[in-house]
Amino acid sequence: MSNRYDSVILHFIVRILLIPFILIFAIYVLIHGEASPGGGFQAGAIFAAAALLGRLTLGQQQSSDRYPTALLVVVASIGLVIYAGTGVVSMFAGANYLDYDALPVLWFNDVASHIRSARAIGIFIIEIGVFLGVFSILTVLYDHLSERE
Amino acid sequence: MKLLTPFLLILVTALFVWVSSDLPARGDLQAPASVHVSPDYTVQTEEAIGIPNLVSAILADFRSYDTLGETFVVFTAGIAVILVLGAGSSAAGAAREEDET
Repeated sequence: MSNRYDSVILHFIVRILLIPFILIFAIYVLIHGEASPGGGFQAGAIFAAAALLGRLTLGQQQSSDRYPTALLVVVASIGLVIYAGTGVVSMFAGANYLDYDALPVLWFNDVASHIRSARAIGIFIIEIGVFLGVFSILTVLYDHLSERE
Repeated sequence: MKLLTPFLLILVTALFVWVSSDLPARGDLQAPASVHVSPDYTVQTEEAIGIPNLVSAILADFRSYDTLGETFVVFTAGIAVILVLGAGSSAAGAAREEDET
């Protein structure tokens, strides 16, 4: 499972065609989670699928250099901190925990192409946190379950 | 006991089929599930939250505590697997193997 398959066709299809497409699709699902089916959990699962595809075909060693396991645990923790921290920020802004209305994020409308409410931006922020957590944990699970020979 | 199992399964299946004839039709607007709070969510969500996706709005805003808990559950599962199977990074595992040999 951790061996590298030396096939030019496999490497071309996976590295040039499949993985970039899957990564872009995951980001698409994440960003459009407010307007279409999708969101943090789904985007994280799709992103993890790309990472696992790399691990299956390019070999554990080479792919693990690209997404190191130790780094992934940190990324998952950062995702959870983003989610929980959003709630703490709204508490400091004078509202309830995870009440996005009070978040000081409306400056984001100045740089974005269309106007969104503070709640929509807050939902987007926590979706990013969920995305980071789910993607990292799924990849870490695969790493640790497949390491055992 | 092996003979009894198919009969029990058939009995339970027949019970479910019989009970399902009492359920409201799919998409019935007068069904109990469609008359309590779901019209409020359907009508007011876009105005209250500001995003068109009802599912995301409920998942991430009305039920954000629930989603926070789900994310922590996923995280806890990953940490548990790391602690039980991995015991740290693969570098630590390699170092431990060197110690053993």
